[in-house]
Amino acid sequence: MIKFLPLVVRNVARNKIRSLFTCLSIAVSLFLVVMLYSFLTVQDEMTVASRVYNRLIVMNVQGLAGNVPIAYVDRIRKLDGVRSATSFSWFGGKYRDEKIVFGQFGVDPQSVADVYEDYVVPPDQLQAFQADRTGCVVGALLAKNKGWSIGDKVPLKGDIYPVNLELTVRGIYDGSSSIDREMLWFHFDYLDESLKAARSTMAGNAGIVVLRAKSAEAMNRLTEDIELAFASSDAPVKALTEKQFQAEFMSYMGDVRAFIRYTSIAIVIALLCVAANTMAMALRERTREIALFKAIGFSQANVLSLFLGEAVVIGALGGVVGCLGAKLLFATVDFSKMLPGLGWLYVPWSTALAGVALAASIGLVSGVVPAWRAAHLSVLEGLRKVV
Amino acid sequence: MSEHADAVVALLNVSKEFMRDKIRIPVLSNTTLHIPRGDFVAVMGPSGSGKSTLLNLCAGLDRPTTGEVIVNGQNLGDLSEAGLSRWRSENLGFIFQSYNLMPVLTAQENVELPLLLTPLRRAERRKHAAAALAIVGLEDRADHYPRQLSGGQEQRVAIARALANDPVLLLADEPTGNLDAASAQDVLDLLVQLNDHYGTTIIMVTHDPKAARRAKRLLHLEKGDFVQADIDALEAAR
Amino acid sequence: MVPLKYNLRSLRARKVGSLMTVLGVGMVVWASIFAFGLYAGLEHTLTVSVNPLDVIVLRQGSTAETASAVSESAARDILALPGIATDAEGRPLAAPELVAIGYLPRRDADGNTNVTVRGVVPASAALRDGLTIVEGRNFTPGVREAIVSRALSERFKGLKLGESFKVQDAMFQVVGYFQAHGAAAESEIWTDQRVLGQVTNRTGSVSAVQLRAASADDRQRLIQRITADEQIGLKAITEKEYFAEQAEQSQFLRIIGQIIAFFLTIGAMFAVANTMYGAVASRAREIGTLRALGFGRASVLASFLFESLVLCLLGAIVGCLGALALGDIRTGTMGGAFTEVVFAFNFGPRVLLSGALLAIAMGLLGGLAPAVRAVRMRVVNALREV
Repeated sequence: MIKFLPLVVRNVARNKIRSLFTCLSIAVSLFLVVMLYSFLTVQDEMTVASRVYNRLIVMNVQGLAGNVPIAYVDRIRKLDGVRSATSFSWFGGKYRDEKIVFGQFGVDPQSVADVYEDYVVPPDQLQAFQADRTGCVVGALLAKNKGWSIGDKVPLKGDIYPVNLELTVRGIYDGSSSIDREMLWFHFDYLDESLKAARSTMAGNAGIVVLRAKSAEAMNRLTEDIELAFASSDAPVKALTEKQFQAEFMSYMGDVRAFIRYTSIAIVIALLCVAANTMAMALRERTREIALFKAIGFSQANVLSLFLGEAVVIGALGGVVGCLGAKLLFATVDFSKMLPGLGWLYVPWSTALAGVALAASIGLVSGVVPAWRAAHLSVLEGLRKVV
Repeated sequence: MSEHADAVVALLNVSKEFMRDKIRIPVLSNTTLHIPRGDFVAVMGPSGSGKSTLLNLCAGLDRPTTGEVIVNGQNLGDLSEAGLSRWRSENLGFIFQSYNLMPVLTAQENVELPLLLTPLRRAERRKHAAAALAIVGLEDRADHYPRQLSGGQEQRVAIARALANDPVLLLADEPTGNLDAASAQDVLDLLVQLNDHYGTTIIMVTHDPKAARRAKRLLHLEKGDFVQADIDALEAAR
Repeated sequence: MVPLKYNLRSLRARKVGSLMTVLGVGMVVWASIFAFGLYAGLEHTLTVSVNPLDVIVLRQGSTAETASAVSESAARDILALPGIATDAEGRPLAAPELVAIGYLPRRDADGNTNVTVRGVVPASAALRDGLTIVEGRNFTPGVREAIVSRALSERFKGLKLGESFKVQDAMFQVVGYFQAHGAAAESEIWTDQRVLGQVTNRTGSVSAVQLRAASADDRQRLIQRITADEQIGLKAITEKEYFAEQAEQSQFLRIIGQIIAFFLTIGAMFAVANTMYGAVASRAREIGTLRALGFGRASVLASFLFESLVLCLLGAIVGCLGALALGDIRTGTMGGAFTEVVFAFNFGPRVLLSGALLAIAMGLLGGLAPAVRAVRMRVVNALREV
């Protein structure tokens, strides 16, 4: 088999434009597939990566739109097995004229760094944030996109809330690519006091509470304890792991996962047609030559593997260009400006390599019929045929 | 000069060289040739002597390195690429060794093809095409595709196509080269008949002495120049 | 012009190659239409049957009803404003409505999702053109009853006719299905405004006031008058603007659709180019003959571009039919304020046309290089080619 490789490579290089175009067609399409699938895999990866921090999310049994009184934060902190806890109140304000809202959360500045230990804020910046009631900490990606640096003013116009916030960037957090680096944290108290001053009934709502348990074992117990502790209150709550929370959040997004799958299937079918056409054209051109191969003693299996090899090489080449290209592109170019809210997107190795394997398989499958026909070509007919 | 004015084809001091891998290959060197109206010339000569080049120059498919080609009073060097296309469609008929019919078109449609370049209406085109097919004796095969015809029939369709636009000059490149003796005879009969009845000027490149015999005169291409030759002398020399 | 049937028959002669290309292009068009249809469906839901005279009054600074509050006294004042259209009985077409958020278990998947629960008054239905009860009956005022759209009842547990669901601690019974031509109202549960206010402890204020102006001039006057009154801190915008803003929140769906279509079109272009290169290469002699017969370069170029275009338009037809065959698929996504918006994919003329335009782009751009090659082929060589 291996000794055929030079011949296979030469055949691929024979009609350079055709091979190139087929590769490019596969490459461009798989670039897209890999990008779409990364959307799914990265989300899974994020939840897996965060598991070590033993975080639980406490929210109203009525879901995200429900109310969690701010007093709950202190009560949760006192529960056995809780290491730290913070409010995490979605503000949803408008920044300048931007239509798309980024994540702005009212947090407890004393606890948030411990709860989110993987979101690293330099100690001096953290102190500055804690000391300034109107200060905020922003994710590194967000800061880059908006061109913010420390000391910059960030005015947020209330949308859900009837108040505006005048924030100052005091710190920038960063971390691995599996964390969300597009959030803004500000003092919950600043929001709450503004609401009270405006005599809004919306004051006192922590939104959700994020807590960090002392250990993984403590988490299961805590889930029950928390739900029990507030069961008979005005605002009963439930505690979710980050994974459960993610799943719940995904369900808000609707059937996105299914749609990505359908689209990918359509692309794969399209590529099968494209690659099969290429191989069929190659076969038609080389009818005489294949007959000649067989005349000089190549077996059916030999001819079959020659053609399948060619199909796989073309597919895999396209896959390598498209998938590794996607990997490389996302690693070097920052798309968060073009894809608001998707700044966390990157291409994991597993997805890129799966894409290459998929491309090679597309090549293989597309080659089956043409290769089979080549293998079963009658020598006499083939030699006679002038195409 | 009178000879010149009367000629359908005039090659004036024409040279043609090809470059192959940086080597100059002269094919025609300073040739002058006149072919009068109503002539039927057979052109013979060894392979590579420039027979096909002559046809290509007359058709404006190729341009001479130096010299002028004047066909039916038109200096081809004066025409642009687009002008040449138009000119060809109005003045020329072409017959190839391998027929070159469109496999996806029927006999009738193949014959109609050059008429699409004329202002003729659809019904007139049909009539012309049918008439041309009738001349070649294939009116009953109008709806057949080339693959459903024999080689001889295909070549006759090709002749009908060449006739359809009533050309001044008919260029035939080995028209009998792919045919058996009987079919070749039919095709040659047709060419002679066209020349006799309609006065169509024909230049026919051929290898076949039997074909050459049917022409009014024979030109032999030697060392880049044309020599008036006699077929019997040529045969004898072999 | 080279006759078109020459190209059509040539395509037929290369059956397998043409078919593969048509299928490939078809799948690409299908995937693009699918992606476009998602956003178009959402947009359609948010804009369909929005009457240009309709105005919504919200708290100053909020873009969604769920985050808005209008005091009952202010609402009463608004209802008394001149310029509001009236119904047959002379009552103003204006409705103070209360929006609450329900949290219902999904039927098709695990977990719960937020659903808009709208407390309405009799004028509400009249303000949604074409809203009709299609099964069961309307809710009885003062009773914990509700009506929903059939689409919503299929997505959430407890919303089928006769079933019950919970809003905060109160149980409501579904007594009827309504339909509203796929408009946003079909993503909502409707119940009596007063009942909802009691259940959610929100008496004394409503979320927003919907109203219909008597004329375009009245509409402008009403908007100016309400917004100008700084005392009450309200803003009035046309319903059209309101929903446009809501659609804006789902821009990313449109962007993703465009990205998908962009990449796939480029991929398909290469595939089409391949097919056409093959066609040009195998028909070199025919091209040479055409040129020898006197067909000009432009004719040959146009001829091959046409062939490429036909391939892609056939693909577009396959793609469009494939999309239409999906029928009425419904889905949901998070709309403004985290509540579910239920909508059907929209494979309307505009979406299908954009699919066809993509196919035309594939055909022209993919066919261009091969067609140019056909034109540049030296006739003399092409004629010799075996």
